[in-house]
Amino acid sequence: MIHRRAFMKSGAMALFAAGFGGVPNFIARAAESGKIIPPYKRNKVLVCIFQRGAMDGLMAVSPFADPNLKTLRPTLYMSPAQTQGGMLDLDGQFALHPSLQSLSAYFTEGRMGIVHGVGSPNNTRSHFDAQDFMESGTPFNKGTTSGWLNRAIGLTGHEATPFSAVSITNALPRSLYGDREALAISNLQDFAIQMQGNPMAGNMAAKSFESLYDQTSNQLLNKTGKESFEAMRILKSTDIKNYQPANGAVYPNSPLGNSLKQIATLIKMDVGMEVAFAESGGWDTHFNQGTVNGAFARNLRDFSDSIAAFWKDMGTYQDDVTVMTMTEFGRTAHQNGTGGTDHGRASCLFVLGNDVAGGKVYHQIKSLAKSDLEDGRDLPVSTDFRAVFSDVAMGHLKLKQTKGLFPGWDGKALNLIKG
Amino acid sequence: MWLKRSIAVFSLIASTAFIPVDPYSSSIRMPYQQAGLSKEQAAAHLLNRFSFGIQPGQIEAVVKMGLENWLQQQLEASLPDTELDKRLAGFDALKMSNETIVNHYLTPAQIILLGVRQKIIRNDSLSNTDREKYREALAKVMRESGVKPIQELHRQLVNQKVLRAVYSNNQLKEVLTDFWFNHFNVSLTKGQSQQYVMSYERDAIRPHVFGNFKNMLLATAKHPAMLEYLDNALSVSNDNERARRQQNNAVLRAARERAETRLNDTSMQGNALVQQAVAARRTQGLNENYAREVMELHTMGVDGGYTQKDVTEVARALTGWTVRPMFSNGPAMRFVENLSEEQLKRRGLIIDGDFLFRGDKHDESEKIILGKKYRGTDGYEEGVAVLNTLASHTSTAKFIATKLAIRFVSDEPSQALIKTLASTYQQTDGNIKAMIIAMVNHPDFWSKKALREKIKSPFEFAISALRATKAQVMQPFQVFNWCSKMGQRVYYYQAPTGFPDRANFWINSGALLNRMNFGLALATQKIPGVRVNLLALNNQHEPESADEALRAFSKILLPERDNEENIKRLTAMVRDANVEQKIAVAAAKTKNNNMYEEGEEETRGQVTGDKEDYKKEITSMAQVVGIIIGSPEFQRK
Repeated sequence: MIHRRAFMKSGAMALFAAGFGGVPNFIARAAESGKIIPPYKRNKVLVCIFQRGAMDGLMAVSPFADPNLKTLRPTLYMSPAQTQGGMLDLDGQFALHPSLQSLSAYFTEGRMGIVHGVGSPNNTRSHFDAQDFMESGTPFNKGTTSGWLNRAIGLTGHEATPFSAVSITNALPRSLYGDREALAISNLQDFAIQMQGNPMAGNMAAKSFESLYDQTSNQLLNKTGKESFEAMRILKSTDIKNYQPANGAVYPNSPLGNSLKQIATLIKMDVGMEVAFAESGGWDTHFNQGTVNGAFARNLRDFSDSIAAFWKDMGTYQDDVTVMTMTEFGRTAHQNGTGGTDHGRASCLFVLGNDVAGGKVYHQIKSLAKSDLEDGRDLPVSTDFRAVFSDVAMGHLKLKQTKGLFPGWDGKALNLIKG
Repeated sequence: MWLKRSIAVFSLIASTAFIPVDPYSSSIRMPYQQAGLSKEQAAAHLLNRFSFGIQPGQIEAVVKMGLENWLQQQLEASLPDTELDKRLAGFDALKMSNETIVNHYLTPAQIILLGVRQKIIRNDSLSNTDREKYREALAKVMRESGVKPIQELHRQLVNQKVLRAVYSNNQLKEVLTDFWFNHFNVSLTKGQSQQYVMSYERDAIRPHVFGNFKNMLLATAKHPAMLEYLDNALSVSNDNERARRQQNNAVLRAARERAETRLNDTSMQGNALVQQAVAARRTQGLNENYAREVMELHTMGVDGGYTQKDVTEVARALTGWTVRPMFSNGPAMRFVENLSEEQLKRRGLIIDGDFLFRGDKHDESEKIILGKKYRGTDGYEEGVAVLNTLASHTSTAKFIATKLAIRFVSDEPSQALIKTLASTYQQTDGNIKAMIIAMVNHPDFWSKKALREKIKSPFEFAISALRATKAQVMQPFQVFNWCSKMGQRVYYYQAPTGFPDRANFWINSGALLNRMNFGLALATQKIPGVRVNLLALNNQHEPESADEALRAFSKILLPERDNEENIKRLTAMVRDANVEQKIAVAAAKTKNNNMYEEGEEETRGQVTGDKEDYKKEITSMAQVVGIIIGSPEFQRK
């Protein structure tokens, strides 16, 4: 009886590895043996933001000088003159929506470039198909097993680490499907062995797991187990919950703001991340899109402020980081009967980084005259998204080669990244 | 003579133990003894591969009834499932037709549209800026028109999968349904196909999992879920004689003009949506998506020996294969419903369930596919002939053989095994049952190399843990959420490839930690609506030491495996931690001086007193179980 009870007590307690001063034992021990030092090196990071739902590129970066626009969009039209300085006239032809104000300085400084008239050669107007094609990077082939960002990681020639590619999402995005390890996590704090309401027991369990994975004969489980615990230790060494952004940056308390904040956390931890992925929603503006104010303006402000906060927060890391946005297609040149726009073809995207040849709207757009529109209704795709993606990946991530990055594509890359 | 025959019949009945005779059953051999396996080890292996996990006591049961009989029973898949049926009773969508579903389970946009049409809500009262109002509007329409949100449909779909996997007695049927769904993957991520997925699994996959491959291929090809998912529903020929005739028909022309005028009136948001859909469809011509994937992913495999030209030709052969209009009171539905047999025929329409063949959209020119000529005038039958040709191709036999071997034998199956399975495929017209039997008859299935070498997918892992612990699953959706966290959001895999069946796809650092967390959460009762009774699992016997707990539960959860090394490791750690614990306890003693007091027995389970101590006791046993489930050994099958 005593024996049994002794187990029940001490045994129970034994399974909680108690630590002093809140430092879990295994971490303390690992630190002693020098194992905790991050084995990862600082890399160039490409941060991709997917604007799901198809952003209206004609409103975000408006070709306001084209007289057709006012006719096509009687109530959605805006111009720098009308908005009294709220819009930034970029080059006499295009102007930034007032909501993009927080990013406008980066354009002026030449660190942000805009590509307009960009999209996929596949003319599908289905969100699903267009996203699928943009993410796999093969606009006419659904069966491509991998995503373009996963292939990009493979082409850096660097060794894989648990944090090589991280997506701040619940499920792995199509862009990151593939052979290379990629982590999908909505909250970095979840990257731990957790026992709800019993952290000490969690520590003990972690220790047990680590020992078991250390001895398993299955090589994959053995190797990944080791990596998991290493990665966990690294994350635990930083107070993620109380992360303080640098330079007084304030992230909007929105899904995108929070995602970018977590990405910033990881970047500053030097865990060897090379590709980060975040999402932004709410772009499918069929109804009451608004102009200076309204649904679109609000969403765009969040988008702009999140990226601007991230960039400010990056501070001394700015040289290593480039942000690229993308959206599956644009919206109809004309407005519809419900104050919105429907699914169209080309949109625009933003690339921000110190190695970006910015301060310029890259485009091949002719005009919004009916004869210049695709099917008489949509801004045609004059720049293939792969021309942009491949240049940014090649130039910023310093890929060894781009062969295989976009199978079946042999177009010419845009020249957006300097050097 | 009479006597002789009756004896023969008699002995037949006796020998098959009430299981109807099956053309392949007599040929089950299972050479596990040659591989040096005991009956128990062989039963464990069989259960690991052909079920969603071993239940306590199941190995003994299978050995007792005979391994061959167990497999035969599983291949029959007719065991009663009363327990499961009770759990599924509340899911109304399981028996609904596609037509009922599309009119009953709606997306938010469809609900609003319905509200506007039925004048339950006013068009101008809508804006997507006020989310609160938007939600209220949705709720009002649902209340007044009796429709439900589509999420509820998805919930039922996911829940039924979890419950069947955990509780069905016909385990192999569930395993194969999972396998073939993944082979012919469709995804809830695609809006156009999401309402059809429930019926897809039930009507296109499930009935064929033990049958002939070509029947399943045809059933998937004609199902709305696949037609929409890979866009064949939109694929039309722009060059069709019948279509031209109809274009020139004055009556039709007038009708079309009227419709266009109506469409161009965008004062209603409903019309805007319709207009958009029509515009999208109008711009489509030939769509090769399905044609490509049916060859690359469903039949011949990427290196199966077809060309891009073949893809285009298959796409042309399948033009006009689309979905029957199903929206009640929709103009298309009314139009089709009002046509007589004779009119259908004249217009070149064929309706088969939810499948619609539109002769007026079909490419009627000659095609050459894989070297074979199709004259182009056989309409629907042409597509069927093409699919049958694909199904009987040698590349398909090899492709399907390889995929089955990878799923059920090893990530790297031998050429010999693939050859055997492929030739079975060809000899039996692609009979899946025969292929399973050929697999277990092959020495590779039982080889030491194959044993425990497969890594469970997150779904297999979660379900096997639930089965091993005899868990009560009241909220199956929680299990689905965990599977998502571990990297397998079932029914939501976006690409038509389905989830890759490879260990290194499942095992990465984030996913692996979540497997361990799942083990701990399950054992410590932290998954809402999922309960385990560990004491009952160990025959109501409380382990008296850590060693004993480790031993007892290792045996229960990982039967027929050598757990000695793991137990040794863990025991050492428990003892190690024990010493640390004593120091910690000494330090904390002043704070918590009833730590070692007597009398905890009496207060156990009560709200007052040593509630914490009680919790810890339970936790200790639970923790052992959690660690075993999260251990590397439990990830293997």
